[in-house]
Amino acid sequence: MKLISLAWRNVWRRKRRTLITASSIGFGVLLSATFTGMALYMYGNMIDASASTGFGHITISAVGYNKTPTLDKRISTTDELREKLIREQGVADAMVRIMGQAMFASAVKSVGGMFLAIDPSQETEKYNLLIRLIKQGNVFTDKDGTGVVVGNKLAEKLNLKLGKKLVYTTTDVNGEIVSEIARVSGVFSTGVAEIDGGLVLLPIDRVRNVLGYEKDEATLLAVMLDNQRKADDIRHRLSEKLDLKRQEALTWRDTQADLAGMITIDGASNYISQLLVALLISAGVLNTLLMSVLERTREFGVMMALGMSARQLFKLVLFESVWLALIGLVVGVMITSPWYWYLDVYGLDFSAMLSGEDYSVAGVLVDPIVRVKLYIETVVIILSVVFTLAILSGVYPAWRAGRIPPIESLRNI
Amino acid sequence: MAGEVHTNNPAIKDIVRLESVSKVYQQGQLEVRAVDNVSLEIDTGDFCALCGPSGSGKTTVLNMIGGLDVPSSGQVWLENHNLARLSRSELASIRRDRIGFVFQAYNLIPVMTAYENAEFVLRLQGVPESECHEQVMMILDEVGLKGMEHRRPDEMSGGQQQRVAIARAIVTRPAIVLADEPTANVDSATADALLDLMQKLNQEDGVSFLFSTHDQRVMDRARRLIRLRDGRIESDEARR
Repeated sequence: MKLISLAWRNVWRRKRRTLITASSIGFGVLLSATFTGMALYMYGNMIDASASTGFGHITISAVGYNKTPTLDKRISTTDELREKLIREQGVADAMVRIMGQAMFASAVKSVGGMFLAIDPSQETEKYNLLIRLIKQGNVFTDKDGTGVVVGNKLAEKLNLKLGKKLVYTTTDVNGEIVSEIARVSGVFSTGVAEIDGGLVLLPIDRVRNVLGYEKDEATLLAVMLDNQRKADDIRHRLSEKLDLKRQEALTWRDTQADLAGMITIDGASNYISQLLVALLISAGVLNTLLMSVLERTREFGVMMALGMSARQLFKLVLFESVWLALIGLVVGVMITSPWYWYLDVYGLDFSAMLSGEDYSVAGVLVDPIVRVKLYIETVVIILSVVFTLAILSGVYPAWRAGRIPPIESLRNI
Repeated sequence: MAGEVHTNNPAIKDIVRLESVSKVYQQGQLEVRAVDNVSLEIDTGDFCALCGPSGSGKTTVLNMIGGLDVPSSGQVWLENHNLARLSRSELASIRRDRIGFVFQAYNLIPVMTAYENAEFVLRLQGVPESECHEQVMMILDEVGLKGMEHRRPDEMSGGQQQRVAIARAIVTRPAIVLADEPTANVDSATADALLDLMQKLNQEDGVSFLFSTHDQRVMDRARRLIRLRDGRIESDEARR
């Protein structure tokens, strides 16, 4: 009989104990998959939401605009550039936008905020969260018109309603203060106080006129990707199409530094909690194998008396930990699959736990219904780490089995 | 093999040689001399019994010959090897290839069938499965277990289990079988049958046996009887 077959039979000597240990490994897989899946879903969701409220997954802008975003830093021939970039593999869409600061005033009050000037013919609900979340009215259709879409909080502050007048004041390319009148065509509500109370959508050509921009000038080109995880690779590719003396391509990590930082910190704390889960799994496997080794001291003594070497004994116990790990992974996949399916389809609704109507983290909208998203490489990593830890937990018992002098074991016979 | 070659007698007829071997155990403050200056030789083809009351040192002598225990002083030679000079892995190889063990409590591996238990040492030796099969079936037939090869230890009687243990001990054709009280846990009819079997293996196949026993039946059949008392050889008589 081969050692690996003997190990398999040994593992099933104590069925209940094996199943309990395998279940703890499986539970570890479930926890790890759940935590990682939820985090990845949430991160992806936040990155997409953030990208669709302004900068895109990749931002093409004038050199230095990201550090000091002033309206004099602008890129030209944006329509031509857009046509070029949109044909690139992995690029889902690209929108020419002007982003800047302004004062917004109604008959009753004025407040400071940001404006996002857009070309309505380029924007879609899919890639513009604000348009998707318009609760009253519609987005303006004329890019040179007087329409404006405001957040519901801003509308409240300025006592604005559909069709009401709004004056926005900003500085043009020459540093002169300029103003324009607009009429509210729509009101959006994202649930993020910062956005709803301070961001306004304006028609791009009208803003170009106000700022003194040329016809195809803008502050940025927001590039949306099919898969945000490929942002770094695509950024490199897109950079080759740019005049790098004047233009730069940045990923959401550069333009949304707060979000990127939050994801990094959250990811690190997620790793720590997973490390604790991993330690618990390891302790379980170590305990099981150590008990199993101590119980079989006599048997190991007999095996060594019959000529089994310490090395062969080490291999035998290590094979047992391999089997235990594999059984644990099978249990893990069995219990995780339906749970993953449930979370993927229905998700967990955390809206009751979020305060008021503000569903934001680091100023970015989060979906209160948390689902899961695992990538193949993540699954492979989770299973490999759990498998490796379970096997490593068997090293000490395996080493110990081979170190017990046969005479010590046989004295008990 | 790092063990010294026994140069005094190149045409060795003794498989085992103990030279002034003593074994002292420390029990708390007390020093227990389990084996005291024992010298003896076991020849090829011997059917020899070490007898004496409990605590006389029988099992300790057997363990030292089997390389399971180390003498406090003196030397143990097995064939050409001074066991004190061998590493742990070399001792494991000697036990695997040159010694067969039969224990009082059978000590079969519970998750293995009779066939697999008998095959175990051959597999440790790296003998391919196909070659093992013929040898194992032959041995099981020889010990009277034909048809029981698929039974696990808990499906066999004590006598049957001890037969499997004997099959496991002799399947590799070792230089010597060390049997520690092999009849202690079986009824007298089974004990006689087991002794018949071991006697047959000794006479027909030339397998050397060294028993530790205080069973009169074993002593009656032994061709050489070594009596131990308080760790010393009291008498060493050749019989029949």
